[in-house]
Amino acid sequence: MKFGAAAVAAAMLALTGCALNEGEPSATGSSTDSAQEVTLRIGTTTDVSNYNPLQSLSKTDNWLLNATYPQLLRLDENAEKVPELASDYYYEDEGRTAVFELRDDFMWSDGTPVTAADVKFSAEAIMQYQLGNVAAKLTWLESIEAPDETTVKFHLSQAYAPFAEGLGFWMRIVPAHIFAEAGDLSEFANDSDWVGSGAYILESATPGQRYVLRANEHYPYAPEGGAAVDVVEYVVYPDINTMILALRNGDIDLMANPVPASAVGSLKSEDKIGLEKVASLGFAHVTYNVTREHLDKPEVRQALSMVVDTDSIITTIMQGDAQEMVGPISPIFGEFDNTGLDAYPYDPAGARALLEDNGYADADKDGFLDGLAFQMVCDQSNANLTRVAEVMRESAGEAGIRIDLACTERNTFLAATKAYDYDLDLSQWGVFDNPMDQLRSTYLSSNPGGINYNQVQDPELDALVNDAAATVDRDAFVKKIKAIDAYVHEQALLTPLYVEDFTFAYRSDRFTGFAPSPSDLLGMVTGYSLSQVTPVN
Amino acid sequence: MLSYVAKKVARAVITIWMAVTITFFLLRILPADPTLLVVEGDMTPEMQAALREQYGLDKPLLVQYGLYLGELLRGNLGVSFRQLVPVLDILLSRLPWTLLLAGSAFALTVLIGIPLGVYAAVGRGKLVDKVVQFLGVTSNALFVPSVAILLLVVFGAQLGWFPIGGAIDPRTRGAEAYASLLHHLALPLLSLALVQVGPYALTLRTNMLEVLGEDYIKSARSRGFTPRRTVWRHALRNAILPALTLMGLQLGTLIGGAVLTETIFAYPGVGRLIYEAVQQLDYPLLQGAFVLLAITVVAANLITDMVALALNPRIRS
Repeated sequence: MKFGAAAVAAAMLALTGCALNEGEPSATGSSTDSAQEVTLRIGTTTDVSNYNPLQSLSKTDNWLLNATYPQLLRLDENAEKVPELASDYYYEDEGRTAVFELRDDFMWSDGTPVTAADVKFSAEAIMQYQLGNVAAKLTWLESIEAPDETTVKFHLSQAYAPFAEGLGFWMRIVPAHIFAEAGDLSEFANDSDWVGSGAYILESATPGQRYVLRANEHYPYAPEGGAAVDVVEYVVYPDINTMILALRNGDIDLMANPVPASAVGSLKSEDKIGLEKVASLGFAHVTYNVTREHLDKPEVRQALSMVVDTDSIITTIMQGDAQEMVGPISPIFGEFDNTGLDAYPYDPAGARALLEDNGYADADKDGFLDGLAFQMVCDQSNANLTRVAEVMRESAGEAGIRIDLACTERNTFLAATKAYDYDLDLSQWGVFDNPMDQLRSTYLSSNPGGINYNQVQDPELDALVNDAAATVDRDAFVKKIKAIDAYVHEQALLTPLYVEDFTFAYRSDRFTGFAPSPSDLLGMVTGYSLSQVTPVN
Repeated sequence: MLSYVAKKVARAVITIWMAVTITFFLLRILPADPTLLVVEGDMTPEMQAALREQYGLDKPLLVQYGLYLGELLRGNLGVSFRQLVPVLDILLSRLPWTLLLAGSAFALTVLIGIPLGVYAAVGRGKLVDKVVQFLGVTSNALFVPSVAILLLVVFGAQLGWFPIGGAIDPRTRGAEAYASLLHHLALPLLSLALVQVGPYALTLRTNMLEVLGEDYIKSARSRGFTPRRTVWRHALRNAILPALTLMGLQLGTLIGGAVLTETIFAYPGVGRLIYEAVQQLDYPLLQGAFVLLAITVVAANLITDMVALALNPRIRS
């Protein structure tokens, strides 16, 4: 028996020995820890599932591929679009042509210069194969022109104010000389021999374990003399608590994922760990399905907005790590922040009075106003929103509104929202990089992005949105966005809850100099941020 | 005997087919759509339709099932929705880790559980028996994730004796790499073994008590065999037969436990792959993983049946 067990164990070890070779330098070309090299180890919760940067990507995919493949524009710490591969951008032909001027010092890691032809190829490939969410941003694209090596012109069928910003931020530029040889790009895995021109180039991948990126010596935004961190190594910890232990133990230097609110307090007290707070590019909200009876009335939606105590939610549930929001445009976009709007007051009694003034009554004396019973869906995996749902149900009850909660696992929740099978949708937007795209996607009757979760069909709102979209003059554009913000707020199409602050943790005794950007999609791990990091001592 | 073997093999094949079928339909009746997880936000209905076509989800369910079974018989598990690479390649890169973890947990459990059961039975009513019974019941009541987190916090974070997650230090080479592999294996292995060892010890104890009262054991003693030889050669050989069935069944539990253990310890096996594939609704990957695990568990049960056949003359006859 003992011999048998030993034989089994030996066989298992031998078998695994084969798998060990995945991480061997001979197989991957990786050597991550020689004495001269500085390695930054980053924890992530999931493996890379798709290496093709032209397709839609998960957060983890984005973290690695954003560092490898450049964007025309990147987002800075104030959520402003600033040049990356593009040195400048502007419009011609009354907004119907977006022009990007490119830097001439970006190089692919195989030594080929990055040119306008690469940008043209990337956009055309996205259009041809309808790849990812960038394809939706190219709706009005008629043609692309690359008159010289550093100029790209996008000719549009109509002016669209944030076209350049949206495309510049979301589209990854890939090497045309590599991807053109790959055939059908909708089926191109791109899972080896990466050629990039970002700050760090993916060098080896050992699924389930780690992903190694090496500094690109040609990256023009690195400090003089090159990035101080030579190697970035992503280590996979599916369980966030294990990742926190690994950070404390020094196995990793940075958590790519935000720290859960419940763990922030304990990490604060550790002198070797630094915490950095960034705002979200999305926000939590309750959206009302206006095709449902009663919810088509603004007064009912306004009353529902009055049963949400956002101050209390931010203080107690979010433990202060969130900002208040009034209209549908997040205050993170400072230029568009409508400071003149007043939030609906938290006043359940006032909400009840408003409803009674509009003809609702409790004839059957059950404590609820007759007919006002709604189902609210939410994603059970978001602990904060699940608690908000409970709180809102309680206070809605005080106003005479019955709310039945249907908080389910994420995939079921997504299916319900996609089928518009709800009265109230309690959820959180992930990333909106500009207000115009958000307003178009969420409020246009034609529902171009498939996320008009209000199902609102309002010609007046359509006209406001379309008019703003075609406005190229910046001041006029900002004014029009603010007007839409006020209109949606008055109609109470949604009740904004909060803009979450994300907290990121890193070993401050080892590294410093991160350049964080808003959102958990970017956080501390953009290529630019990592290229600015320096070791302590 | 041949018909017994044929019957067992046929049953194994039917079990695998049932696992494949149930998994296939179970995934598709879920109120969720994998295409929704690919693009969040700006996704036009045209893009969604194109993705459904690319995934083969636009065809009638029975057609999808027929195509899947046909490909499966040819050894093709399909291409991952998200990774765009063959499922078999992904699974084969992860399987060795799960086999190492589950296999060594199985071996460790048997190595510890059987002697514990024997000593408890031989020392019936004594301290050793009471201790084994207490530990056995406690082990039976343990929950894998709780044990895993406890071990990780105490032996990983507090004492620093073991690494926090992972399977190997990539900087190590040769013998050092194998040492690192064992070092990383220790805590996940212990988590699984601690939970599994109780049922073995208790089952063996009960079987041994029964066997030790049999006439042939008394006869062996009267013929002057040493107590050691009587217990370990004669009694254990018969007492272990019912435990063999338990071993086959426990392997399924071990594989299930590996999903949780691999997730907590960041161990790169098939279990963790399943956890991630569920989140992404990657049907081909999930189906492939379940097929692979079903085959593993069914094959293990088949092997235990064959071992029982070899050991038990009554089955042979």
